[in-house]
Amino acid sequence: MTPFRQRVLVTTLIIFGVVIVGFFGLRTFHAFREFRGHRPPHPFENRPAETDVELIRDWMTIGSLSHTYRTPPRLLYDALGIPPNGNEHKSLKQLNDEYFPDQPGHVLETVKAAIQGSLPPPTADPPATPVPPGTEVPPSSP
Amino acid sequence: MSDYLLTQIINQGAPLFGLILFIAAVGVPVPASILLIAAGAFSQQGILPWYSTALLGLVGAVFGDAISFGIGYYAKDWVDERFGKSPAWKSARDTFDSRAGMAVYLTRFLITALAIPTNLIAGGSGIRFRRFMTYDALGEVTWIILYGGLGFWFGTQWEVVSDFISNFGGLLLGLVLLGAGIWLGTRQLRRRTATAEISMPDEQGES
Repeated sequence: MTPFRQRVLVTTLIIFGVVIVGFFGLRTFHAFREFRGHRPPHPFENRPAETDVELIRDWMTIGSLSHTYRTPPRLLYDALGIPPNGNEHKSLKQLNDEYFPDQPGHVLETVKAAIQGSLPPPTADPPATPVPPGTEVPPSSP
Repeated sequence: MSDYLLTQIINQGAPLFGLILFIAAVGVPVPASILLIAAGAFSQQGILPWYSTALLGLVGAVFGDAISFGIGYYAKDWVDERFGKSPAWKSARDTFDSRAGMAVYLTRFLITALAIPTNLIAGGSGIRFRRFMTYDALGEVTWIILYGGLGFWFGTQWEVVSDFISNFGGLLLGLVLLGAGIWLGTRQLRRRTATAEISMPDEQGES
């Protein structure tokens, strides 16, 4: 390789390297901040059903959603007004394109609303048992 | 494309996941790391069985790597004919041969963008197939445990991990390019200095 070509190669590598490091460095920093904001639950605990409907994406299927959110699939098909037969393997986007082509995002929003409506209301912590005045409280065991 | 593949993995399960990792390892541009994190999350949600998903994914990735190693091996004659006389190529090949194992291992899970070029170079270099496969399998197991495990751990929040890992991979690739540029530039500079030092005493002797 001639010295000129070597210089071109070195310059190209350094310029590309700096641009890529700058671009992905910023994105990594932002992604890391987002990443730190999420505390995942213990993976091997028996997790409760997912309740955050904002995690629903249009590539998901009715079957996978009913599994994740523990919602009967029938409820979701009924909310959309479409039959389950032949639609089990279609994504929400495919269902939207097929049944509601003039209403973009309709299936996603309807499914979100149906799942949100089917979720049990959040339970408040039970109130502490009142202790009548003058009652001796036994010391807690070590 | 990712969205379409994610839907199909939900529908077809572990066999399709293994096939996708195979295709990616052969060199078809598929976001394999993202799909692996997603597969980990699907396993955690009970949509995919984790053991068969991990096993078929590993088999697909390792088999695909063997194919791309083979492509490099059979393209060796053409590459030698084209670049064989170049000292830079010979030097690069010798450098690769001495660090091939580590390069193969690290490019499986750390700098995944360089995995295919590494397979092709490894095929065309002096590294033996059995040695390549040992480091390759170790790297792929690390990749599947690390990325799939993160997906499994984060569950429905896997997209946050995927976003971070994709960008971090890009950052590492940039650092490798920058490091290679600085290393080559420093080497050129040293050679030029050494050449100047050799010619200097001659000039002083003549005066």
